[in-house]
Amino acid sequence: MSDEKAHGSGAVEPGDTSKRVGAEVIRERGVDPEELREKLIDAIGAEFTTYYYYTNLRMHLAGEEDYKEITEDARLEDRAHFELVVPRVYELEGSLPNDIRDFADRASCPDAEVPTPMDDGGNFDTSDLEVEDILEVLLEAERCAIRTWSEICDMTRGADPRTYDMAQRILNEEIDHEAWFIELLSKERDDEINPAGHFARGEPGDAPYSTNNRFNDSA
Amino acid sequence: MTQSASETWSVRIVVPETSSLDAAGETFDLEVREDETILAAARSAGVWLPADCQQGWCTTCAARLVDGDVAHPNARRYYDEDREAGFVLPCTAKPRADTTLIVGQYDDFLEFRADHGRPPGSSKLDT
Repeated sequence: MSDEKAHGSGAVEPGDTSKRVGAEVIRERGVDPEELREKLIDAIGAEFTTYYYYTNLRMHLAGEEDYKEITEDARLEDRAHFELVVPRVYELEGSLPNDIRDFADRASCPDAEVPTPMDDGGNFDTSDLEVEDILEVLLEAERCAIRTWSEICDMTRGADPRTYDMAQRILNEEIDHEAWFIELLSKERDDEINPAGHFARGEPGDAPYSTNNRFNDSA
Repeated sequence: MTQSASETWSVRIVVPETSSLDAAGETFDLEVREDETILAAARSAGVWLPADCQQGWCTTCAARLVDGDVAHPNARRYYDEDREAGFVLPCTAKPRADTTLIVGQYDDFLEFRADHGRPPGSSKLDT
């Protein structure tokens, strides 16, 4: 770099690696990058716990192969959402909690547990477990995710296009998921036709919005 | 017992002047049915209160109960000590009397939860 023509860096001195312009430009636009980063950790905590809990929910949809596959789609896409945003947390100078219990405890959405008690042997008591009960848990989990990512879209709109882009991609898929589970629950519980308006993904976990540019191949 | 859906309570929402909310320093008076949440009633009335999960879990909406009474029949994570300390979660709180709330108490509530070893404060403030 020429001494006569130093790079313009705003509040960050040339060569200073203790700050990130990628974070400071967000602050300059009125959003606290630390607050945003913590909210992102909460949000991907929910994506991660949902990925875990959907594994159990999917397995208990015994004999309902179409429901299982749709739940698998949502499960893998929620994992993709976690993968998509993890690098953003680090870009904003954060990190994942070292203890996974902390990560789960701070997740912004409730645990999506199988809606049945455990029996005396520590196993799921499935004697009264209904498919519609599982579908309702899935639906409410998706609704929480919609609210969370809408909030992050609100926080970042006009101030942080990188996070906004991720959040709106994820929001698109969460809204798909809600529509799927409304359709299934309506049919299963109420015997009503309430179309999602969608057809199947190409493959489970396609995540057509959150991975369609493949800018994060770990997703 | 089935509650009458038409029964309503007067709910006063106080937004502290120090709040980062757009409505800082304002007070709103709402009529809220017993079967609706205070958050939903506020937003329906054009009063934008903070909230995230809306399932009584994340605590983003935390408020302090100044007067009155609320119930949290559907909150996913609300503890006896929260109630005893006067913290409420408007996203799931339904009025059971004329009530006054101070909203925008998320930070204080996180600290309270952390002090009592409860999430999410216990997991967020130690990191």
